[in-house]
Amino acid sequence: MQPFALNYARPAVELEAAIPYVYDAGLQLNVLHDGRVAACDFALLREFGTTTSTAGSKTHFDD
Amino acid sequence: MTVLILTCEEDVTADMVVVHLNATGVPVVRVDPADLTGGVALSGEYVHGRFRGHLSAGGRLVSIGGLRSVWVRRPGVPAARAAQPSDWLTEEAAQALYGMLRGSDARWMNHPDAARRARHKPWQLRIAQRCGLPVPATLITTFPRAAREFAERYPELVVKPVSGAHPQDPPRAVPTSRVAPDTDFSAVAFGPTLLQRRITKRADIRLTVVGQRMLAARKATAADADPDDVDVRFATPGSPWLPVDVPSCIAPGVLAYLREAELAYGAFDFVEDSDGTWWFLECNQSGQFGFVEVETGQPIARTIAEWLARPVPVQPPHVNGARLKAR
Repeated sequence: MQPFALNYARPAVELEAAIPYVYDAGLQLNVLHDGRVAACDFALLREFGTTTSTAGSKTHFDD
Repeated sequence: MTVLILTCEEDVTADMVVVHLNATGVPVVRVDPADLTGGVALSGEYVHGRFRGHLSAGGRLVSIGGLRSVWVRRPGVPAARAAQPSDWLTEEAAQALYGMLRGSDARWMNHPDAARRARHKPWQLRIAQRCGLPVPATLITTFPRAAREFAERYPELVVKPVSGAHPQDPPRAVPTSRVAPDTDFSAVAFGPTLLQRRITKRADIRLTVVGQRMLAARKATAADADPDDVDVRFATPGSPWLPVDVPSCIAPGVLAYLREAELAYGAFDFVEDSDGTWWFLECNQSGQFGFVEVETGQPIARTIAEWLARPVPVQPPHVNGARLKAR
């Protein structure tokens, strides 16, 4: 009784590494442990994939 | 005047825009509706024919009348983190927050009504057709026989979710996947199924549109790519995303799409075939853009910030709910 499309489903892949930044309500930005703004570190964003088209798919489907 | 951003804390993509707004001195208030009524509070008063409303978050207080724009990015479910969450409280919080915001003169990226409609993929396909964009032959059906007949006409097929949503119990991903011609389609009867002619692609295209500005990126398909790796989101990393011009035969259709959909922002997915034709797959009304900017250096976040920072157009006064013509 499984819908056809689910025959092609695969387990969701969760991020293995802990995200190295935390939200700062004062700045309204996520900051790294050394105080730098995470969004300005493109190498880090690329490494963790938090801006990719599958990020946030758990709660939103506007990939 | 202030830019209101409705999104969750972990949305680092929104941060990319906040950085630009901060640099230009535009006030920003960032709110996650999930934090109603903990870290977020609201109040609105309708008295003597006037409305005065306020939002408070993170120690910031903003007048709803003082909003220049509202960016709906990745908002949480209203009141989801309340002390005693419930479906009823969520509905109450949603009605209060979005109801008040709808009454403001702020510009929306994107308006909730337009956003809700724009999420429907079948509607997207029809709008794209009407706007003259090439759309691969597509079937959405619960009839196994219709699926079989479609597969006979188009032996090269893919299947994808109609909604784009992924099942959460347990968490699974449903990538766009190739369907073998001799597949048993009987399970089509158990859920609406979207089948689409597979375009043999030489590249994926991500076209991010902010207002009237189009920023396109192209990711070439490797010559030795596995033909079963249809979905670029789940394929092994290969060629980088690179900036590309939008073909003159596509650009008017894209802008017409956004006009008809009443969207200020859209992230379009196309595939480019061997003739160079861009085939429309979908338009994500709040699609991710950070990964494109990170790879291509295209100024998408800055363009969004500039759109959000524009002043609110001067509105003529209202009398008894009717808008007077400007003199």
